[in-house]
Amino acid sequence: MHDVAAETIQFIDLNLMNILFLVIVGFIGGLVSGFIGSGGAFVLTPGMMSLGVPGTVAVASNMCHKFPKAMVGAYKRWKYGQVDIKLGLVMAVSAGGGVWLGINIQEKILARWGQAGSNLYVSLSFVVILIVVGGYVFYDAFKTSRSGGGDQVTRLALWLQSINLPPMMHFKTANVRISMWFTIPIGFATGMLAATIAVGGFIGVPGMIYVLGASGLVASASELVIAFVMGFGGTIKWAMHGMVDIRLTLLILAGSLLGVQLGAIGTTYVKEHMIKIVMGSIMLIVAVSRGLAIPKYLKDLDLLTISDSTTKILMTASFISMCFALGVGALIILGSMWRAKRAETAKEAAVALEKSYS
Amino acid sequence: MLNFMKKIQGKEKGQQPESSHLAQGRTSEGQEMSAKPEVSRKILVVSQGETLDTEVMDYAVNLAERLGYDLVALSVNPALGQKGRFFSPYRRHLREKFSQRALAAGEALKRKLAFKGISFEQVVKFGALAQAVAEVNRKTKRIEFVIAPAGIKEEEVTGEIALPVFSISGYQGERTMAKESESRGAKQIGKTVGFGIAAAALYAAVFTNTETVMRYFTKGAWYAALPIATVFIVSFVHGAFANYLWEALGIQAPKRVQPRPTAAKRPVARKRPRPQLRIDT
Repeated sequence: MHDVAAETIQFIDLNLMNILFLVIVGFIGGLVSGFIGSGGAFVLTPGMMSLGVPGTVAVASNMCHKFPKAMVGAYKRWKYGQVDIKLGLVMAVSAGGGVWLGINIQEKILARWGQAGSNLYVSLSFVVILIVVGGYVFYDAFKTSRSGGGDQVTRLALWLQSINLPPMMHFKTANVRISMWFTIPIGFATGMLAATIAVGGFIGVPGMIYVLGASGLVASASELVIAFVMGFGGTIKWAMHGMVDIRLTLLILAGSLLGVQLGAIGTTYVKEHMIKIVMGSIMLIVAVSRGLAIPKYLKDLDLLTISDSTTKILMTASFISMCFALGVGALIILGSMWRAKRAETAKEAAVALEKSYS
Repeated sequence: MLNFMKKIQGKEKGQQPESSHLAQGRTSEGQEMSAKPEVSRKILVVSQGETLDTEVMDYAVNLAERLGYDLVALSVNPALGQKGRFFSPYRRHLREKFSQRALAAGEALKRKLAFKGISFEQVVKFGALAQAVAEVNRKTKRIEFVIAPAGIKEEEVTGEIALPVFSISGYQGERTMAKESESRGAKQIGKTVGFGIAAAALYAAVFTNTETVMRYFTKGAWYAALPIATVFIVSFVHGAFANYLWEALGIQAPKRVQPRPTAAKRPVARKRPRPQLRIDT
């Protein structure tokens, strides 16, 4: 099996531009995922493919960079007391099931409608899920920031927590006691989304916040545990097929290990709803980006007639807006960190001044 | 006035064995005690050694006297806390020694404080500071805040529990702080450079031998262990480098204790002595 892979897969040559691209996108992706628990992969995989890396190698190399990054990020945030390891592991188990189902569905679609059908399915899932979930996350963050108050546990989460359906589980750091049965669909959906669009956190984090009742801080931190487990499992599978291009992985890691720690540090500076704002913004922009790609896939399936130049423009616009999504996320994170840091320095200076007077 | 003070002190001294009545006695002198004994409010003084830091202790005693609080001193020895597979007799011996000395130091203070009418309790613990504080906080009711010598970080003291911590830096404290941070800064830069070089060497090793690396790493099957082991090593070395780099650049989590989202740690409503009307006869 691996012989076939070795024969058919061409590994690209690296030049300075490629290297810089990978390191920089790795850094920004790491920054975002250290902050909101996931992200980066949705730019890295298409980005690598646009450099000429075959799809499977891009996915495999990306996954191989994802799990060490998630591990480092999770460790860092665990030190800040934000990670609920038990919640992450419980979710990861059901996410494993989700990944399995997600891959099966993908394979069925691929067999029936070919690559274009598969791409259309992926893009449609992106658009529908990201608009619905991202829209809600953004709305909620907006509401919280306007009221100026802290996060509130949703009524849905409170209701689910009140249902005593054994086995009940207590997640200490998240401070949630809920039946195991309610964690399963969330984990499962996370896994399915991860298998479909490579970023399970877009379901996992909002799910943990709104359905299970964890705080944004704990949810995004625990997502890193899920990402680690899923990424590790996926990497083993891909590496057994010899698909991991370690050079690409290492280059992305060079940037992302720096980024993920900065993102993790960032969570300790900013107000909690910033996590939701960043997540919501990225999700909505990515949804637009994938929406732009849909006409091309419809055309490939002969469901739509548009000119080649239009599809080309749309695809470029799609990729640029994807990078834009990541950039916006990174800018919001760095900006709010900068502001928080400046406010703190000013406060310290004021205290010192007061002391010197007294 | 002096006489009056003495009277109060004498009265409190008389109640010494029932330290729990102290606060009540102070807040409503001349009034009947409520039927339910009120637990006195306490200051926890933390030290990491067998002797109690004199400057910190002086400050705490003054404060306790002024506020009418009681004192609880906690001597912690973190080094003797680790439980190995075998609990060696030597370590037990060291623990006993430590306890004896710490208690002896406390005993002298206790006698002194008895004159001032402050009840003094001493606890000796081994292991992590935060855990020791948490245990004492659980056992001893109404600890209002913690006083610690400078050099012990707030998060080291309280860990998960929500207790205000005040650091007392006498000139000695300041001196040790300054020395520590200076050497720590140098150490940090050393570590950043060290891990940086190690990470660079790792990358160089892979990228100067790409052909060999790619040939073996993409063989699949059991060779899958190669890329996985590589990323683990890189994530350790380069991750450590990144960590120290941000720290050296001054970008690190603020000192205040991170808001552990486990809310409502102390939901129990505290009973506070209420002002009551009384007829002065």
